[in-house]
Amino acid sequence: MSESAKQAPSPKRTVDVWDLPVRLCHWAFALLVPAMWWTAENSEWGWHKRLGLLLLGLLLFRIVWGVVGSPTARFASFVRGPAAILAYLRSGSNGAIGHNPLGAVSVVVLLLAMLVQVSLGLFAGDPFDGATGPLNPLVGVLTADMLTDWHETFFDAIVVLIGLHLAAIAYYAAIKRNNLIGPMIGGKRTVESDVVGNAPAMWKAVLLSMAIAAGATAWIAVGAPPLG
Amino acid sequence: MLRSLSRPILTIAASATLLSACAGENASEGEAGSQAAEEPAIIDVRQTNLEEIGDAFKAIRGQLEGESPDFAVLETQATMINANAQKVIDHFPEGTGMDAGFDTEALATIWERPEDFAAAHQALIEASEGMVAAAQSGDAATVQAQVGELGKSCKGCHDNFRVDDD
Repeated sequence: MSESAKQAPSPKRTVDVWDLPVRLCHWAFALLVPAMWWTAENSEWGWHKRLGLLLLGLLLFRIVWGVVGSPTARFASFVRGPAAILAYLRSGSNGAIGHNPLGAVSVVVLLLAMLVQVSLGLFAGDPFDGATGPLNPLVGVLTADMLTDWHETFFDAIVVLIGLHLAAIAYYAAIKRNNLIGPMIGGKRTVESDVVGNAPAMWKAVLLSMAIAAGATAWIAVGAPPLG
Repeated sequence: MLRSLSRPILTIAASATLLSACAGENASEGEAGSQAAEEPAIIDVRQTNLEEIGDAFKAIRGQLEGESPDFAVLETQATMINANAQKVIDHFPEGTGMDAGFDTEALATIWERPEDFAAAHQALIEASEGMVAAAQSGDAATVQAQVGELGKSCKGCHDNFRVDDD
């Protein structure tokens, strides 16, 4: 806001911010996490397992995409140290499109939390007592029991993190007058004319990320041979 | 921009409030014919009873995963499974299944096929007696073999009388 006040009114234009895979992953997470909760609450274990594997695949895809994707998708482009986070908190502005240094923490923590939760689920259950994750046979019965308990408990942490995420979006909308939802849907946002937009993603990178994610997920789904 | 954003958020918040208000109303009114009846206490009793069996069975299998199982522990756990197993059938009075709208995985087949349910219950009792005997034998291989038998009796009941896992 201070920038636009300082400078002569500069023409606004619309640029790309988020590539399609980033947006698809984001909204898939937003649908899958409640679905995982619902299927668990309603003992739909078959669906819980299938959707859990889908979530695992999307998480792996997003992580690979964070290396080979478009500039704003890449961890290297937005993950910053504490100094940058403090500087952002003081100035309140990022000066560029993409995740700000604080939002970057949110992205990494949310992705990691989902990855931890899905990983716990892979080992959860008891073969004599209902559904089991595909990696359940790799651990002893007591370890599996402990991981199952953690899997149940850790969901609370996910809920807290999602609450923070939504609160931040509401804060940006209400206080900072910055609509974060629109760009996450349409992929574009209006910027000052000197702000550079995101570069397009490459199809080869999409295929590579899909192949790695699908391959790893399929391997885990069948029990991670030859370990299993 | 603010307006367009805050409106859906407000709408969501308002619907959530309305929904929870409706849920509260249903529960307190308990209309005739609705499934808002209070959950029978027996559901909690039987779930605790079965969970204790599950935990004891895990403890037995945990012992077998170690270098040398403690047969005193095995016998204690097996005895507890046997004691809990006796009670199972009395914990399923008619009208306490999923179909009655309660938070349980008990299928209607329990009451549609009472003889099969009784047979499954009998299999559990026998397998648990076998586990007590196996623990007393002091032979890990015997206990291990009986784990398969007891597990089969757990699964036998879950497969037919508890909501499907897949």
